[in-house]
Formats: sequence, C-alpha cells, structure tokens
Amino acid sequence: MRKKDYILTYLQYFILILLFIGPVLWMILSSLKSNLDITAYPPILFFQPTFNNYTELFKIYPFAKYIINSFIIAGGSTLLGLILGVPAAYAIARYRLHSIAFFTLISRMAPGVLFLIPWYLIASKLEITGNNFLDYIMLILTHAVITLPLIIWLMISYFEEIPIDLEESALIDGCGRWRIFFQIALPLSLPGIAVSVILSFIFSWNYFLFALTLANNSTMPLTVIAFNFIGEGATNWGGLMAAATIISLPALLLTLFAQRLLIKGLTAGAVKG
Amino acid sequence: MTRMSITGKDGALQPHPSPPMNDTETFWGLLKKFRVPIMMVSPAAIFTVIMILFPILYSAYLSLVKWTPGSEDAPFVGLANYIRMFQDPTFWLALGITLKLFLVCLFFETIIGIYLGILLSREVPGQKIFQALILLPSIIASVAIGMMWILIYDPTLGVANYFLKSFGLKQLVWLADPDMVLAAIAIIDIWEWSPFMALIITGGMRALPTDPFEAAVIDGASRWQIFKYVTLPLLRPVIMVAILLRSVDLIRFFDTIYIMTKGGPNDASTTLNVYSYLQGFSYMDMSYGSAIMLFLLALVMLFSLIISALRRKAVS
Repeated sequence: MRKKDYILTYLQYFILILLFIGPVLWMILSSLKSNLDITAYPPILFFQPTFNNYTELFKIYPFAKYIINSFIIAGGSTLLGLILGVPAAYAIARYRLHSIAFFTLISRMAPGVLFLIPWYLIASKLEITGNNFLDYIMLILTHAVITLPLIIWLMISYFEEIPIDLEESALIDGCGRWRIFFQIALPLSLPGIAVSVILSFIFSWNYFLFALTLANNSTMPLTVIAFNFIGEGATNWGGLMAAATIISLPALLLTLFAQRLLIKGLTAGAVKG
Repeated sequence: MTRMSITGKDGALQPHPSPPMNDTETFWGLLKKFRVPIMMVSPAAIFTVIMILFPILYSAYLSLVKWTPGSEDAPFVGLANYIRMFQDPTFWLALGITLKLFLVCLFFETIIGIYLGILLSREVPGQKIFQALILLPSIIASVAIGMMWILIYDPTLGVANYFLKSFGLKQLVWLADPDMVLAAIAIIDIWEWSPFMALIITGGMRALPTDPFEAAVIDGASRWQIFKYVTLPLLRPVIMVAILLRSVDLIRFFDTIYIMTKGGPNDASTTLNVYSYLQGFSYMDMSYGSAIMLFLLALVMLFSLIISALRRKAVS
C-alpha cells in the first residue's frame, strides 16, 4: 500500500473509534464523576475523578451479592454447557451428524418469552423462586439454553480442524472411543474450549430476560438489579453509570486482553451458528 | 499389508474399523454400532427437548386455551386467541413497528457492515486491535448499553442534544417523543451491531480468491469498479449469512427497547416481542402472549427460509 492509503486508513480508524467507543468511554468517565460534574451543562470532559459512585453502590445495596450471583449463574451455565456440549460437538463433528446440531438452533430462532412462559409456570407451581438453591439451579438451567448452542457450534469447528489421523491410529491400536475423546481430542481442542468458556460466560452474564422473571431478591444477577435501577427513575446518574460499568467489565477485559481470541471465537460462532 | 481404512468416502470417522460387523442390519445392531456417538449426543439432545421443545409445545397448547394464572380451568377456545390477535389494533401497530425497525436497522447495518468489513480486511499494523475495539458495543450487556444511552439521550444533560445544539440544530426529547423514539432506538442498534456484521464480512473477505482482483488491476479497473464488479459479487454469499443472522435477532427486537422505554411512549416502540412479553407478564394474559409469540416464531422462520433461499441463489 502507498503511504497515502495508510494515512487514510488510520484516519478512518480514528473517527470510527470515536464513534463506536465514545459512548462506552462516556459511560466510564461519567461513573467517575461527582454528582455536580455529571449534571454539568455543557457536558465536561475534564474533572476531578472520584470512586464515590462505586463505594456508594456497595454501601447502599448488597452489590457484592449481585456480582456473586452473576458469577454463579454465568459460571454454572457455562460449565453445564461444556459438559453437555463438548461431547455432543465431538460426535457431531466426527460422525457428520450436523442435522442434530441444527436442532439446537431452535433456541436461537425462537423468542425467549416462548420458553419463559412455561418455565415461569413450572417455577411458580413448584414454588422454585422461594427456594434460593432451587432458584439458582433454575437460572443455571435456563441460561444453559443460551450457552449450549454457542458451545456446540464453536466446538464443532474446532474438532473439525483437528487432524483425524491421530485418532485413526489410536483406534487401530485398540483404543476405545471414549479414551480417544478424553485423551486425544479433548487436549488438542483446549484452545477451542478456552474460547467457548470465555464467550459463553460473557453471553450468559449479559442475558437478562430469564432472570428478570425467574430470579428472587437474593438470587438476582447484576443485570436485573441494574434494570430495576432504571425503573426507579434515573436520579442518581453516577450510581447508574458505575453499575453499568461493572456489568460491562467482562466484555471490557476481553476486548483489552484477548483480541485474537475474541475475533476468532465470534467469527467461528457466527458463521457456523 | 493393506492399511485398514476407517474413514468413509466423505472422510467421516466410521463407528468401527473394518471388517464390518454383520449385525448392523437390525435396529439394535445399529444402536450398538453407534453406541458411543449416541451416548455423546443424548445429554445435549435431552436437555434441548426438555428446556426448549417441550416449552414451545406447551406454549402452543396455552395459545389454544383461555387461561390466566390463578384460574382453575383452562377451557379450549380453538383459534380464538389468534382471531383476537388479528382484530387487535395494537398487534398490527406492533407488527408495523417490528418491520419498520427491521428494515431500517438491517439496511444501515448491512451498508456500514460492508464498509467496515472492507476497511478491516486491509492488512495494516493495529488492525486486530481496532477490530476488537469496535466490537465492544456488540459484546457489552444490553442493560449497560441501555443505561449509557439513556444518559446520552437525556434531554437536559445528554451529549446527543449538546451536539445538536453545537451544530445549530433543534434539540430533541429523543426517547420521550413518539415520533423520535424508533429512530433513537435504531441508532443504538446500528451502533451496536454493524461491527458484528463487519466481523462476518471480513472473515469472508479473507477466504476470497486473489486472482479476480489481480486480473481486475491488470485490466486497469478503478477502485470503485473493482468494488462493484469483483468484491461485491464475490462477497454476496457471506453478506447473506450476515443478513440472516442479524434478521433473526431483529425480528425479535426486545432488549434495548424493554430496557429503555418498555414499549412507550404510547406504544410507539412496542415491537411484537415487547408486546407479547407485556401481555404475558404485565397483564398476565399468558394464552394471548403465547399466541403472539408463536406468530413471531413463524415470522422468524419465514424470514430465515426466504433469506436462506436467496443465499443459495447467490452461491450458485
């Protein structure tokens, strides 16, 4: 490329970063503003940063509890998705059973409320929401509906990339199918599992519709309490932005520290799924 | 010694090394032969049936009865809920809003996605970092997206009005204005998902053959000509994939709207998905909510079929 092309490319990069990252930066900046600075008009870019909004959140609300809930639900549903999805993806990739994989895509086509109504009815009939332990289980199960198809489709593409020769010779040597899966295929697909864990954790962490109706006050994840903040009428802008920033942390960390992984995972997941 | 072949014609791993077992003809023989893959797939399949397929069938049943939480019996009413739906003006309003948002968002996301996708396919230092950064809106939780844009759109202290004012334009109330709310929501969606479209399109660009481009350069084609006659036709299949993925989400538009406006003001941003959620969980009319949901599912499937057919046409 010529020098002019480089300059033009970077000029576009600069403008696009402002447009696409600007609102996110504005959220983070606003979360560090005092109440006076945040309501200043015209909006100000330079100010004395403060962490008051964050400490208030933890002082007034059991915010640590909500963070732990988000971890339990996102972590649990990721784990369940892996246990169910990785062997399934292996069998689909190795035995060419792609029609089965399409079956799991119903959950990506159907609107969430369609499952939510029956789930809600069962949960209220069995009085699940009143019992914290059962409610966590319910939330993990419902969130696995998000993580499972994602993991299956990601892992299919990773298993298909692993050369089949190694498994063939192991088979000739009399190695059982399960041993081949656990001792050859699984270790070779670890990068794919890492991508699956990270993406499904984030997607599950972000999802709010199921928990909105199924969670109770002590199993509520971050997204739901933040949603309730909005409903209470936005008077405390700083607190609102601090909560939004905390919710965005997994996504921010992934973007800052694992760019290649993010791009590879999202591309594989999207094109396949 | 002849090497035993355990991969079939299409390279798929055969369940057992040759010589083949002779009991594969019967059902039980097949079951035994495919024992391991069946065991591997079953847990995920059973989970999907219990958590997804059963609820969809249950919703279909609910849509055929008259039932609200608390009532003892659920009399069968046939298609009454669907007839009510077609006579409900809010349903038609919601369908119109859904289609309007669908068309506007998809149009701009496709155009911006193609532009970004081509920009991202240029190999310059920092390209990966840039690509990951602009993907941030697509992977941040929609609740956080909604919160940050509520602040941006705030009529008195929001940045959106500040920019309008600095350009000498009329200030708006954005989300509180029934005529403006859809545009405000569409802007967020375009901002959120264009980079995702670009990601898919860039992936497709990488896989393109280089010969047609080299030939075009040799023939003295201008950049615009190369884009119009070489890049775009070659990219059409992958663009269709991106459109398909986005369409499936856009027809079910819910998150940002429910978070920011709950369908208001005056139902001006009530999409079908929001309307059915409100029917099911605010008015507790779950039978009617289910009917709207199933209509929406049918709509999603119809659109996917049309777009898949268009994609097949683009490939051939």
